Amino acid sequence: MSTTTLPTERAAEPARRRPRIAERLLMSEYLVLALTVLYVLILWPIVPSIATRATMLDVLAAMMPLLVVAIGQTFVLIVAGIDLSAPSILATASVVGASMMTDDGGFALASGIPILAGIVAFVAVGLLIGLFNGLCTTRLGMPAFIVTLTTMMFFSGFALFYTAALTDDGSSFGDLPASFVAIGQGTVAGVPYSLGVAAVVMGVAHLVLSRTVFGRWLYAIGRNPRAAAISGVPVRRAVTWAFVISGLCAAIASVLYTGRLETGTPVLGQRILLDIVGSAVIGGVSLFGGTGKVTQTLYGVLFLSVVDKGLQLLGLDLASVFAIKGLVILLAAVLDALRRRLILRA
Amino acid sequence: MNMTRRTLTVGALMAAAAGLPIMVKAEGTKTVALLFDSLVSPFWVSGIEIMRQKAKAKGWTTLENISNFDDNKQFEQVKAMISRKVDGILIIQTDAKAVIPAIRAANEANIPMVHFNRPPAKSDAYSVAIQADNRKIMQDTVSFLVDEAKKQGGKYKAVILIGDLGDVNAIQRRDGFFDVVNKNKDIIDVVGRVATEWNADKAFAGLTNAIQANPDVNFLVTSSDFLHPQIEQVLKSADKWHKRGEPGHVLFGGFDGDEGAYARLQDGYLDACGVQNLFLEVDMAFGAFEDLWAGKKPDKLLLDPGFVITQASLADKREDMWGYTVWKKMQKAG
Repeated sequence: MSTTTLPTERAAEPARRRPRIAERLLMSEYLVLALTVLYVLILWPIVPSIATRATMLDVLAAMMPLLVVAIGQTFVLIVAGIDLSAPSILATASVVGASMMTDDGGFALASGIPILAGIVAFVAVGLLIGLFNGLCTTRLGMPAFIVTLTTMMFFSGFALFYTAALTDDGSSFGDLPASFVAIGQGTVAGVPYSLGVAAVVMGVAHLVLSRTVFGRWLYAIGRNPRAAAISGVPVRRAVTWAFVISGLCAAIASVLYTGRLETGTPVLGQRILLDIVGSAVIGGVSLFGGTGKVTQTLYGVLFLSVVDKGLQLLGLDLASVFAIKGLVILLAAVLDALRRRLILRA
Repeated sequence: MNMTRRTLTVGALMAAAAGLPIMVKAEGTKTVALLFDSLVSPFWVSGIEIMRQKAKAKGWTTLENISNFDDNKQFEQVKAMISRKVDGILIIQTDAKAVIPAIRAANEANIPMVHFNRPPAKSDAYSVAIQADNRKIMQDTVSFLVDEAKKQGGKYKAVILIGDLGDVNAIQRRDGFFDVVNKNKDIIDVVGRVATEWNADKAFAGLTNAIQANPDVNFLVTSSDFLHPQIEQVLKSADKWHKRGEPGHVLFGGFDGDEGAYARLQDGYLDACGVQNLFLEVDMAFGAFEDLWAGKKPDKLLLDPGFVITQASLADKREDMWGYTVWKKMQKAG
């Protein structure tokens, strides 16, 4: 039997091609990167300073701490979880770490190694809160949303209490050692040190996710935890580690932020939860778990940081900034849902 | 010549690209960045409005950024304004210490920085801060209330609503209060210190508790007028909301000089209010920019002496009270 093509079907063919191009664009890893370039091109005539070397270096320096904390969030998102406690880890690590090394009576001044002691304190805070989140989620079966929401509330309060109890003005820890401050502010040939720290974190995270069995476990858990468990994946252990890594990354980001501001402050990062989760999702890490790469998070962070910088350069009022940023994140969430539909259809 | 739609679009975009920077540049001779950490109270909303008007009157262009209490974001905003090569940066920071790197960045770029209402922590970086003389204004306000108390006779049980002690303004206002009441312990007994942290809910709960514990409170001072609605609610519930001269009136002092304070002064519920002269503070801030542009080096801290307004001086002084301007606008708007 021969098949014939009806004229109506032939006419429909070009129309079908269009969605394919759109689909390919939508599925592309570089979509966000392309959007970033487009955004800069649109703003460039209005604020030419957006395309200067100084602004680009500013964006780089500013985005590194956010990138580090968003990479941690990526691990948790891949296992279909969420870590809302990241801002409180930033704040708690900031004040605890700063209280160790401040020249204004830091706890570790007498040790002779106050900076090292301070950094250990930063990391310890991140690891412990991450471990607590992981254990509550996996051992007690509590939803990650509830666990991390409550740890966020508790540790945000703790950071304020800790600062109020240990400082004269009750607001923050200043007088941090110059070599610590350099981690957040220093540069080599104009390139910030924080870029080196973030590059190491990014490289390690990329290797862990793409080249190790642990990384494959995380993706398998995110896609279907029951199937992963049946296949022999230690689901509880892997999910706990995802939260621990998230806590560790938040602690490293806290080192960068605290050095950048020369201040250990209990309100550090309290307003950036949306940026942390949003940048990973904008990059292409799925809120539903099972997909996402470190490079995608990088693109998302770059996009949000460039959007922010553009809005700052424009000098717009807060309402416009919120509206535009909200719209961008909403758009990313819609794209994420569309991607998922396309994957399921394929 | 045939022109496709694409050519037309590209041409239009290029024309826009070439023209826009010129349009932006032509707007003013000086560009000043107004970097606020929030616009959560009428004081700040009025402040930015007065700044816009006064800058416009001087022919300056203003750029605005609000950090939403995020120190790191504010630092990035300062850097963005440095990239825009503004002529001056007026900043209201959240944390006095975390702003120091931003001052250093402005110093390096040779852009004058003026802090409005909140001075930074001490450092080697140079900037000018404009601040109300909180302690003196509060001392004068409380002195007026104490004089009133002495005139009326009797003993007084006092409550003070203290602000966020991370904010130097809150500390100075608290100290101004105690400077006066500590000298008058024979008639004033402070029975309540409500830590509001500049939070209306905490103020409401704290004052409710203080009045439940001491129902005979008859002397009340708030460190900021934005808490008046909560105070009114609590005093009404305790049957203590009475005008001056009426039995059961609580001697009531405020601070800031907002529209609510004006209305309550006019209605007779508020006895005195320490006013931050917002108009003068904006003039001082802009004057500091002009001095810095002229190569002068003003002091790091410039104080607004403020003033106390009472029902007796309301008619004479209200034009200098920023809250009166807001109140007039609200009346006009109905």
